[in-house]
Amino acid sequence: MISDETLMAYADGELDAAAREAVESAMREDPRIEQKVARHRALRLQVQAAYSAELLEDVPESLLSAARGAASTPGARVVNLRDAAAALDREAARARMPRRRWRTAAAMAASVIAGVGLGFFIWGRTALPLVRSADGAFIARGWLATALSDQLTAEQSRSSAVKIGLSFLAKSGDYCRTFALPGKAPSSGLACRHGGQWQVRTLTEGPEGSDASEYRTAGSTTPAVILELVEAQISGVPLDGEGERVARQRGWKPADR
Amino acid sequence: MNTSGTSQNIHEQIVALLPRLRRFARNLTRNPHDADDVVQIAVERALTRLDQWRSDAGLDGWMFKIVRNAWIDELRSRARRDKIFLAAEAGDMIGTDAVASTTELLSVQSAMAQLPDEQREAVSLVLVEGLPYKEAADVLDVPIGTLTSRLARGREALQAILGTQGEGT
Repeated sequence: MISDETLMAYADGELDAAAREAVESAMREDPRIEQKVARHRALRLQVQAAYSAELLEDVPESLLSAARGAASTPGARVVNLRDAAAALDREAARARMPRRRWRTAAAMAASVIAGVGLGFFIWGRTALPLVRSADGAFIARGWLATALSDQLTAEQSRSSAVKIGLSFLAKSGDYCRTFALPGKAPSSGLACRHGGQWQVRTLTEGPEGSDASEYRTAGSTTPAVILELVEAQISGVPLDGEGERVARQRGWKPADR
Repeated sequence: MNTSGTSQNIHEQIVALLPRLRRFARNLTRNPHDADDVVQIAVERALTRLDQWRSDAGLDGWMFKIVRNAWIDELRSRARRDKIFLAAEAGDMIGTDAVASTTELLSVQSAMAQLPDEQREAVSLVLVEGLPYKEAADVLDVPIGTLTSRLARGREALQAILGTQGEGT
């Protein structure tokens, strides 16, 4: 007696030649078996047909651009901030209940900003001093915040840990700056000064094990993903050296608000 | 460069998969808004993990798995927030406008909606999306025997719901 699961697998084309042969000879001998197979096939077709129209629906633009998002920028991928949030939650949980892994992460972090108790987001091999505020925004702290507040593009050197790219006034009225973190796991981002803090709006990361050319690209230029954001948000043109200096003096507070 | 050429290609392949990802996500979540959210998260997640995709594995199976995991994460975080959406919300679900052109199509979809999650997932992957058993089992992280028994039970249930209408008894 052939089991119904075997008949189903036959109808789905999942059997090997020998098993197929066995089912086919049973079908020839017993019309009830043939009927069962026919029912499985009919159901398969019926279900397929019922769902085929969904494939013809228009896909929302948001999904298309999500899928193409990184296509224009091989070498820089947008970091999923929801994943980042989950990672931060886990780090926070470890911090409350100290365990070895957390101490390892903390030790890494401490070498960068000793003595400051901050949440850290470890992405790839880059440890970023980011904390999450109550409303879910990612706030730059430590050396990242210092660089965003103090570093002028004209003054930065090749050895600067953070490279500031473009600074601009956004349509929202906030000052924003793009930044790049060269290193083994290069990443780039966009941060905006809001409520007296630097909110990191977007992060990208380079591919793992990047070769020299990718490293150079990610370290010294702004990825297209970030540039697109700048284009979408900028009001006017990017700040020049003098504009940056004035904005810094003002603590990155917009003049007329 | 070889690797970036491949990844460009993958982006376009993901775009081509979007209709199927949405369809699968709708079967999973039974709510079109949740489905699109989950697909969005999954696509973003996949793009940060392209290096984990092995080209010998089907891109569709890999993406279905990421969609499903994103949905599981979402359900967990909803449970954490004590804001569990009930499936009852699926009143405005799949199959209301674009798909419900005939009562038969609608009845297949409402029959699907009555299946337990495990069976609906299996039926959705194999019968709707056309994945081989092995790949469907991989997406669901279960042995192939578990997949076939869920599939068999799901089919039986569908048959029972639809058959009684079709045969007029």
